[in-house]
Amino acid sequence: MTTPNQSASNRRGFGLGNIAVTQELVVAVAAAIMFLVFSATLDNFLSSANLITLVRNVSVLGMMSLGMALVVIGRGVDLSLVAIMAVSMTLAIVLANGGWSFGLALAAGLAFSIAIGAVTGFLVAYVEIPSIFATLAIAAIVYGLGRGGIADLDVNNLPPGVDWFIFLGRGSLLGIPVSIWLFAATALLLHLFLRKTGFGRFVYAIGDNIETARITGISVRPVLMLKYMLAAFTAFMAGAVTAASVASMNMRIVNSTMIYDVLLVVVLGGIGLTGGRGGIRNVLVGTVLIGLLLNAMTILDISYTVQNLIKSAVLLAALVVEALLNPRDEQTSQQGDI
Amino acid sequence: MTPLVELRNATKDFRGIKAFSDVNFSLMPGEIHAVLGENGAGKSTLTKVMAGVHTLSEGELLIDGKPERLETPSAALAKGIAMVYQENSLVPSMTVAQNIYLGHEKTFNRLRGIYIAAQQFLQSLSFHVDPTALVSSLGAAQKQMVEIARAVHQQARVIIFDEPTASLTPEEKRYFFQLIRNLKKNGVTIIFISHALEEALELADTITVLRDGELVASQPASSLDRNGIIRLMVGRELSGEIYADTTETRKIRPLGRKILSVENLSMGGLVRNSSFSVYEGQVTGMFGLVGSGRTEMMKVVAGVIKRDFFHGGQVRLFGRPIRYRVPAPAIRDGIVYVTEERKQEGFFETMSIAENIHIGQVVKNRGGGFQVMSMNSAREAADTWRNRLNIRAINPDAKVIELSGGNQQKVVIAKALIQKPRLVIFDEPTRGVDVGAIAEIHAFIKQLADDGIGVVVISSYLPEVLAISDRILIARQGKIVEEMEAGTATEESIMYAAVH
Repeated sequence: MTTPNQSASNRRGFGLGNIAVTQELVVAVAAAIMFLVFSATLDNFLSSANLITLVRNVSVLGMMSLGMALVVIGRGVDLSLVAIMAVSMTLAIVLANGGWSFGLALAAGLAFSIAIGAVTGFLVAYVEIPSIFATLAIAAIVYGLGRGGIADLDVNNLPPGVDWFIFLGRGSLLGIPVSIWLFAATALLLHLFLRKTGFGRFVYAIGDNIETARITGISVRPVLMLKYMLAAFTAFMAGAVTAASVASMNMRIVNSTMIYDVLLVVVLGGIGLTGGRGGIRNVLVGTVLIGLLLNAMTILDISYTVQNLIKSAVLLAALVVEALLNPRDEQTSQQGDI
Repeated sequence: MTPLVELRNATKDFRGIKAFSDVNFSLMPGEIHAVLGENGAGKSTLTKVMAGVHTLSEGELLIDGKPERLETPSAALAKGIAMVYQENSLVPSMTVAQNIYLGHEKTFNRLRGIYIAAQQFLQSLSFHVDPTALVSSLGAAQKQMVEIARAVHQQARVIIFDEPTASLTPEEKRYFFQLIRNLKKNGVTIIFISHALEEALELADTITVLRDGELVASQPASSLDRNGIIRLMVGRELSGEIYADTTETRKIRPLGRKILSVENLSMGGLVRNSSFSVYEGQVTGMFGLVGSGRTEMMKVVAGVIKRDFFHGGQVRLFGRPIRYRVPAPAIRDGIVYVTEERKQEGFFETMSIAENIHIGQVVKNRGGGFQVMSMNSAREAADTWRNRLNIRAINPDAKVIELSGGNQQKVVIAKALIQKPRLVIFDEPTRGVDVGAIAEIHAFIKQLADDGIGVVVISSYLPEVLAISDRILIARQGKIVEEMEAGTATEESIMYAAVH
């Protein structure tokens, strides 16, 4: 049985014998080739230290990309994910250092992130602000809260005695880092949400055509809010893994280009910005490819500025390809006024 | 005298659908020429060909006796032909003068200069509009004046008006007629498209009537009267078997229980104090011309139009007052709306037939979002409806966008009917649908009524209304103005009630 996504993307791709060439497959093959090339040419690439760094970065990037993918599939974008990730975790750390039990502090951080997601969702769904502007403003507000209200310093260290939490970032189970398990679990949960629940189908429906979704009787606004809340949840998870692996959270990451990396993963993986297309598998292949690329550029000691140039060029290219693959039909397929 | 504009054996089709065919039309210099016809008769398209919006598929367009090919509206303007559209094309955030001079500004534009020039120009037309006023602050009639002024300023010899009076109050209309007569005195030739017969008779020198894309008459207005025009507009031979059901032998379904009663419904300027009822086990046809508010009335009932614009009146479903802000609760209560804009809001283009139909079912339940989706139940539901509606697709996983218009429409209908409605509102159910599918959809609509469901069919095609309705409601200017039994109604009587 084919999933709807398979059948949809198969028809979009062009056949090559029995294998349909899709963006997803192209990206997966490219990632495999890159892995082989880097293994053969880069000295430290296959070292265990590097692979652990790679995996940790990939799981943080991937986790946030899952949230971004969910938002994009429902036709939107969430630029506040990195801010939510950094500030919600900082809040948890500050509370724990202030005497709260660590579990309770984490729960407060989670609640904070979901509340921010709810506010974003409300702004987009009920106030009807375009998501790009709403989330840009929310990102600035959240970061401002973090630096001005929650903590005095950018970097906040975890309290002592939370080894179980550090284990999430540094430990491994069955030879595989725990952070990868967490990423996999989040991916599986979101996959089941998108494919197997009514809400998941509604997200696709809204991304495909919000007017049709409304007339069909979908309660569009609550679904939009849910979407942003789930995305904020993935941002919190990404923050937890980051904090666990370096025993601190640095809010300066909000000013980095990380949000573009997240967007790059989603677009390059083959999730159309026009909405309604793609799924979790697209995020997985996109994450692997971008993770490899970022890692190789770091090993090659390419300067931060040039890295940004390369990444933005790839993002732009991916957007162009996406626009060519999924033109909006409303404009092109209209009949004349008879 | 050579005609100013002439069409010879002109045909225009859009991907095989003919807007008009084999039309011979001539416009004499200095006349006021009215083009009349039902919705979809081809009036707009015919005039848009002259304004350079569309080009002819076959036939010739002559200007001053010379063959021309107008590819763009600016090419038509260069020949002196301007069009004033139904939705006006002014920039609301600019002033009157800026709009008049739009596209003709000097490189270094001085506002003071154009205000003075515009003031003099408007006065020469005796239009009393302040050139420094923002267009967004003007009323409908004043906007029209600005449009006209712009057309005249662009040295138009021919001005085409598409439904110029649709949004005007009676007083504004009288003023508008005066403007038209002034233009004529200044030597401008006028074409106006209208539904309003009295206006045409009062104003026009020549009247052309179109019917189903054919020119049925083009004669001096003095030789016509109201009844004559109505006969020309509707007097078609019923087209074959599709609409054969209008014969006397047809059984009219009796009134069932009252499902819906609407009292004094008002919404914005489109629905004004409208009242009507819908009964179970009957097909209620709803006819009205463009701007009659028929679609809007039913959209309010189904919650498709937001309540923000919902000013008054009462809607009752089985006696219970209802007021929906969004379609979701209406659907749970059993009211579904099948849209006329299939491509814009009818189906999900990235989804398969089965997914499209199944999502309708999931939505119907209150906790539908929490429901676990199973591909098998989606297939099953979709198969049932594919068979019932005879949706033809080579592959059940085919995306809806790949289907023909008729099959797309059937998917949209299936998606609505799987929600087990008690009242179905079909808005133009056979628009852009092939002939075979029209018959199937009609048969299916009748079957629904036989099954005891309340059915409303909004249509602007008279034979369709007559063929499938048991009761016909006629909308005019935002109101239901008349209710007819299908047995007694004729195309002429319906049209008589619908025109103003």
